[in-house]
Amino acid sequence: MSDHKKRQRKVRLFGDVYNLSEMGVGTLLLIPSIVFLVFTFVIPVIQVIQLSFTNYNTVTGAMNSVGFSNYVYLLTGSSSANFYQALGHTAVYAVVRLSFDLTLALLIAVMLDSKIPMKKFLRASYFAPVVVPIVASSLIWIWFYDVNIGPFNQILSALGLPTSKWLLGENTSLMSILIFSIWKGLGYNIILFLAGLQNISDTYIDAGKIDGASNWQLFWRIKFPLLRPIVSFVLLMDFIEAFKAFTEVDVMTPNGGPMRSTMLLVNYIYELAFTNGRMGRAAACALILFVIIFVFTIIQRKIGANKTVDYD
Amino acid sequence: MTKTKSKLGKLTWKNWILFAILFVGAFTMLFPFVWMFFSAFKTKADVYSYPPRWVPSTWDFSNFRKVFDMIPFLRYYWNSILTSVLQTGLIIIISVFAAYALTKLRYPGKKLFSTFLISSMFVPTVVTMIPLYLIVSSVGLNDTYAGIVLPQISTAFTTMLLCGFFESIPRDLIDAARLDGCGHMRILFRVVVPNAGGAIATATLFTFLGAWKSYTWPLIITTKTEYRTLPIGMKYLVTESSSEYQVMMAAALMAILPVLIVFIFAEKQLVRSITLTGLKS
Amino acid sequence: MKKFKNLLTLLLAFVLLSVFSFGCLPKPAVPNGSQAREDGEEGTSSTGTDLTVAMPLDERENVTLDVWYAVSGTSGEKFVEQAEAFDKQSDLVSLNLSYSGGANDTATKVAAALLTDTQPDVALMYAGASYTGSLGNFDTGQLIQREGFNADDIYPGIWDYCRYYTGGICAVPYGISTPVLYYNKAIVEAAGVDMTNPPKTWDELYEVLKICKEKGNVNGMEGFTAFDTSDVGWLFKSMLMQNDCPVVEVNDGVITPVFNNAEAVEVAEYWKKLVDEGLMAANEHSSSENKFLAGNLAFLVMSSNRISRWTEVDIEIGAIEMPYFKTQSVALGGTVLTIFTQDEQKIEAAWDLVSYLLEPQQNLDFALSTGYLPVRASELEDEKAVEAIEENEMYSIAFNQMPYAWAYVHFEQMGTMDLQLADALSRIEKGTKDPQTALNDALNTLVEDMEYDNQ
Repeated sequence: MSDHKKRQRKVRLFGDVYNLSEMGVGTLLLIPSIVFLVFTFVIPVIQVIQLSFTNYNTVTGAMNSVGFSNYVYLLTGSSSANFYQALGHTAVYAVVRLSFDLTLALLIAVMLDSKIPMKKFLRASYFAPVVVPIVASSLIWIWFYDVNIGPFNQILSALGLPTSKWLLGENTSLMSILIFSIWKGLGYNIILFLAGLQNISDTYIDAGKIDGASNWQLFWRIKFPLLRPIVSFVLLMDFIEAFKAFTEVDVMTPNGGPMRSTMLLVNYIYELAFTNGRMGRAAACALILFVIIFVFTIIQRKIGANKTVDYD
Repeated sequence: MTKTKSKLGKLTWKNWILFAILFVGAFTMLFPFVWMFFSAFKTKADVYSYPPRWVPSTWDFSNFRKVFDMIPFLRYYWNSILTSVLQTGLIIIISVFAAYALTKLRYPGKKLFSTFLISSMFVPTVVTMIPLYLIVSSVGLNDTYAGIVLPQISTAFTTMLLCGFFESIPRDLIDAARLDGCGHMRILFRVVVPNAGGAIATATLFTFLGAWKSYTWPLIITTKTEYRTLPIGMKYLVTESSSEYQVMMAAALMAILPVLIVFIFAEKQLVRSITLTGLKS
Repeated sequence: MKKFKNLLTLLLAFVLLSVFSFGCLPKPAVPNGSQAREDGEEGTSSTGTDLTVAMPLDERENVTLDVWYAVSGTSGEKFVEQAEAFDKQSDLVSLNLSYSGGANDTATKVAAALLTDTQPDVALMYAGASYTGSLGNFDTGQLIQREGFNADDIYPGIWDYCRYYTGGICAVPYGISTPVLYYNKAIVEAAGVDMTNPPKTWDELYEVLKICKEKGNVNGMEGFTAFDTSDVGWLFKSMLMQNDCPVVEVNDGVITPVFNNAEAVEVAEYWKKLVDEGLMAANEHSSSENKFLAGNLAFLVMSSNRISRWTEVDIEIGAIEMPYFKTQSVALGGTVLTIFTQDEQKIEAAWDLVSYLLEPQQNLDFALSTGYLPVRASELEDEKAVEAIEENEMYSIAFNQMPYAWAYVHFEQMGTMDLQLADALSRIEKGTKDPQTALNDALNTLVEDMEYDNQ
């Protein structure tokens, strides 16, 4: 494959000079990715765009062009309150989950990175909820939250404290889902941060120590800046995860919970598409969700790009 | 000075406080599993008893038999393993190729591809599900392993993750290999892959866990019992045994325990490979 | 400049793929159905032959039927057992059985399968009539007229549960249930209520509930209430019918929802009164079964299929007939057998299966081991039915309700209606909307959605 001459062959494209053999190998290696990307992503997304302009209904089988009326229904129609409610819940869910996930995970990762006994056991304990299928762990938590025979309320009443309605209360249901989501997702970030911390070269740490830096200074001056790429990666992924959250809400509070108080955007899409069978509206809602996530990502990347640190 | 595992004698009181905090945290994380474990052996009377019973009054194994009576549990298990392994394998191979091409090679259109790849991460599965279902059905892949696995091949996350690690492999290493006359495939498998072993292990673990949990897609694409995966089987158990918590816990225990065991084993490998990986040049 | 180029390439690729994927988007397989809907008469079958007469045996061929079922647990096992017994005894028909998930999953799957023409030949599912009805497939209406099936033996109210709004019958009942009013014996006794002469109307029950609320908290638990239901829409629709509100009306083949009329508002006011007086907890219905079994609830309205399921519980449970406003009535629920196939040979085979399952003995056997209800009046005279009633008095309550069990016709937006009703009730309970406004809003949304679908 690689004789000397081939590697030397250069080509000029779009005003840049490229090595021909690198181009060939690069394209070849990307072909599998491209094939799957086209079939599992590009084509479906285009079809969803098409669907969003129809009143496609799986129950009646109707499929006629309705122009922008699906978007009108979601954004300004008489039922638009449902959409804005779902959007609001999703925003609250994302912000709360993100702030807890990042700070707690970073804190625990740093603590785990220090000299303590039973490190492996502790690490495994924090990561354990991540491994478990969400359906399985939701089952446990549904019981925890049970108003009558759930351990949470039983402990509260044993301590003489007022009990909570948890998943059944309009004001507590989203919080209950959040507690579960944080419990479930924390370990994932801990492992990523921990991997980042352990990959920090000892030379930087040693240099810091020689300079007489305290642990606190070591963390904020050396470790954290080096962790920044991982932090921004986790931030991005977590945000997307939060906006994509569906399974736990669907399993723990079917139909959006009391007074639709846990109805997140994806659950609303699912309701439109599968409970009501109205794929057109669901497609329109899905596209709006997509735009929101996309815009956030671009903003986040712009900010993240400005903050890359140089250490030398 | 160095990070060698020192024995407990060198620990200061600060370390013990850290340990105590972490231990309480770890207990909180594990408590649901402890509860599940004991509850799987409870009788219905224990479940409804007040004040609550933490440990079952009698160890009742009939809940497990009920699970097997209700659903073909072992078949679901096998399906989950098979589809998860296939899915993980495909995703990792494709991602390694792509990540190498994106980080170590220069050619036009890279940015365009990255944009496409990254945007695919932001689309919830619920968005693409209906068209995907129609596509998969039109080629007759409903109720097949291929129908479960292929549409779930989304390589964006792993590719991004691997890119991050591949970037830290110094270009000098690759240039040196090329001066030795190595082709790109040899560089990939002899230089890059061994150097990023830990990263690949991490990606594999995460991908496998994702595949193991996957639930929405297998739910709609399978109708026959013989192709269902574990989460789907569990979901159906929930619909049926609506309030029989003890049966649900027995099923959850059987679903979770082997995963936890495998995980604890794999976690050691993972940690060792991460620490051993020569990411520090 | 470079960014612009990237953007342009992206745009071009997008256009190219759009064109490509237009070809990929499958057209729904329903057009013949929407046509048939207009002339959906019972007279013509999908195959054009007269299905009221069985095909001669020498013309029959061996066929395999794909059968999906939406019942699991004991009910699923019993269904499989009966279907397999049929498979064994039939020389011509063999079955390929698959559990297709609960009510919603099965509905989603059947809807999706209809689009790609991969639907099962027969499905045991909820609201099956709205699928075959919307496809214009009224073969079942002819099949039930065959000799020996004895369709008149099945309660007329149950046939309405299998009817599409254009008039035709397009499913067969199997796995039917009604709501039943259960009560906790210990609580009711402690409150000093005499259940040998049970409350007959909702107003009488209201008085009983008040007493139970006051004196019935024998376990001294927090959040004790007197009344609840696990399925809000189901009970509410039953109550509407009892107050002479038919929920929906059909005029010249057009559905008109009427659940905001004066009678409906009366029912909603009663509902609100239950919450306002603290007799029913607001918006906690999904946990009502657990609450009842934990001894923290006096009365619970739930499906009749719980009669056989609540066997190992700690509390002693009794049941009474559903109270009423003006006339006795309970809304039907549960699954129906739906024949989707339009192949002549398969229709014959499917009918063999359906009529086997609907034989009085099979149906009673299924009913007694699952808690679903027998659909034929003659089954109640069977020895086994009498025995079952002697063993568990709650069966007699469920069986007694059958003659006045009722259903409204099936239409595509039933799901939307149920969601809207549940939403309206939760707002009434919460007090954020008064009953009239809540019902008006729910009705308007439903009408809007129906117009949207028919665009």
